[in-house]
Formats: sequence, structure tokens, C-alpha cells
Amino acid sequence: MAELHAAEALPTITITAGVDQLAGVRAFVRAQVAAAGGDDTTTTDLVQAVDELVCNVVGHGYAGRPGSIEIAFLETPDEIGFRIRDDAPPFDPRSVPEPPLDLPLGERRLGGMGVHLARTLTDGFDHRILPTGGNEVTVRKRRRPSTGPSTGEATDGHHDRASEP
Amino acid sequence: MDITTERPSPDVAVIGLTGELDGSNFEQVIDAGRAARDGGARRVVIDLSGLTYMGSSGLVALHSIALLMRGQEPTSPEDGWQSIHDLGTAAAADGEPGVVLAGPPPSIERVLDRSGMLGLFPVHADRASAVAAVATA
Repeated sequence: MAELHAAEALPTITITAGVDQLAGVRAFVRAQVAAAGGDDTTTTDLVQAVDELVCNVVGHGYAGRPGSIEIAFLETPDEIGFRIRDDAPPFDPRSVPEPPLDLPLGERRLGGMGVHLARTLTDGFDHRILPTGGNEVTVRKRRRPSTGPSTGEATDGHHDRASEP
Repeated sequence: MDITTERPSPDVAVIGLTGELDGSNFEQVIDAGRAARDGGARRVVIDLSGLTYMGSSGLVALHSIALLMRGQEPTSPEDGWQSIHDLGTAAAADGEPGVVLAGPPPSIERVLDRSGMLGLFPVHADRASAVAAVATA
């Protein structure tokens, strides 16, 4: 778990894995996106994406076992997003088959809908296995043309995204 | 999230949801649907107008209530799409949908749309029109 608590200058919350924590996660996402100048669509989409992914970690990653989940806000001049780290068994959510909406419903599975929403509501969706064995998932959205950087004080939160193995 | 149930007629229940529907409370929504069915309701209006958030677990709740109204037990989400497909064809066949949705805010309707659920449930602008529709179904 050491990596989960590495000292970084990113706005971060750490929760115990439980669905009762989801409302707090969404509040954190809303506050961070608002502070970064994100518009309503950006806020709504990132709230949904992070909620779905954290919910999946609780339900499938830890599957009822105790654990913690760290959610950090990432901001660059071009994008805003979130990084979700856990200590659950390695699992790449991008491996969840995308329900093909142009095919008969009988070929889809409701179980992958959270990942489908996270994937389609964001501009970037990545996963890597942490050196400690846990997972790191990031979702990000491009700033919309009418929304520039909020303060020009963007963090270097993008640094670890380009180094995905 | 607050859940209210009203019974405008013996065979109709209106389940109103207010707040955020997520992985922590979707089972309460299913329970409300089950209680409505056990109380004699044959059609359920789910009023989404008070929702400020709905996660994919909310889709599971809607799906589960639809199954309950057909006299079935909810299935695992892992095999739920086939059930939804069956549900849609059955509803189209008998013209009497067990579940109709009312007043989804734009953000909620977007989730329904992106998940392919919009076409499976009749959606009405508000509770009154939804109740009127099921009353004449």
C-alpha cells in the first residue's frame, strides 16, 4: 500500500472500499472539476465515470473484502481527470467487452455497463498494474474549447500517464 | 436518496426517487418494486424527475423491477441483457409494459440512452402523463 500513500501534490481522497463511500467520491469529483473550471457536461461525465469505476473496485475488485481506494485529481492545461488506485487483484477494466449498441440486445451484458459508461463518457481511459500489485485506472476529459485552464496553476498530474507500461 | 410509493389505483404504483441512485441504494429501489408487486400493482411508474444522479446500478434496479412485474425474479447483471431483450419483446407483444419511466432529467436520460435502455421502457415527460398512460393501457 506504500505507493497508494506516496507524497504527491495532487488533490486526493482515500476511502475504505464500500458503496457507502460513493456519495463522498462524487462530491470530491464535483468539487475538483468545478474548481478547475470544468463545465456541466465535463462534471457530469467525470462524476459518472469515477463513480462507476470505484463501484466496480468495491464490488468486483475487493468483492466484499476490506481495502482502500485512492482517488486523485489530475489537471493539465489540456485535460482534467482522475486517477483511481486500489490494492485489489490486478484487473484491467478495459478488458470488459464493450456492449455493441448496434447489435441485438441479447448479445449485450448488463454487467459491463458501468465500464461502458466510463469509457464512452471520457476521452481517455487507461490502466496499469502498480508495482505493489494493485491497480491504477485513469480517466480524463479534454477541456472544452470554451473552458480554458482555471488558474494556470495546473499540476503535473499528467506525468504518470505517458509512462504506462 | 428518498423513495416514495403512491398507489393512484389498485393495480398501479408510482415509485418516486429523489436524490442520488447508486451502488449503495439501488437494492432499496428493487425492494420498493417488489413491495408494489406484492401489494397488487401490475404496472409501475418510476418517477425519475427528482434524481440528481443515476449510476449503472440504477439500470439494474429498473431492469429488476421490470422482471418482478412479469412475475420473475431479478437476474444477475451478468446475464441481464438477454432478460432485457426478452422483456422488450414481451412488452411489445402484449402492449402492456409493466414499467414506465417518468420525467428523467437530461443527465439521467443520457445514461438511459447511452446504455440502450431508452428503447426498452416507455418514457413520459412527467408523472401525471405516465400515470395517465398506464391507466389506459
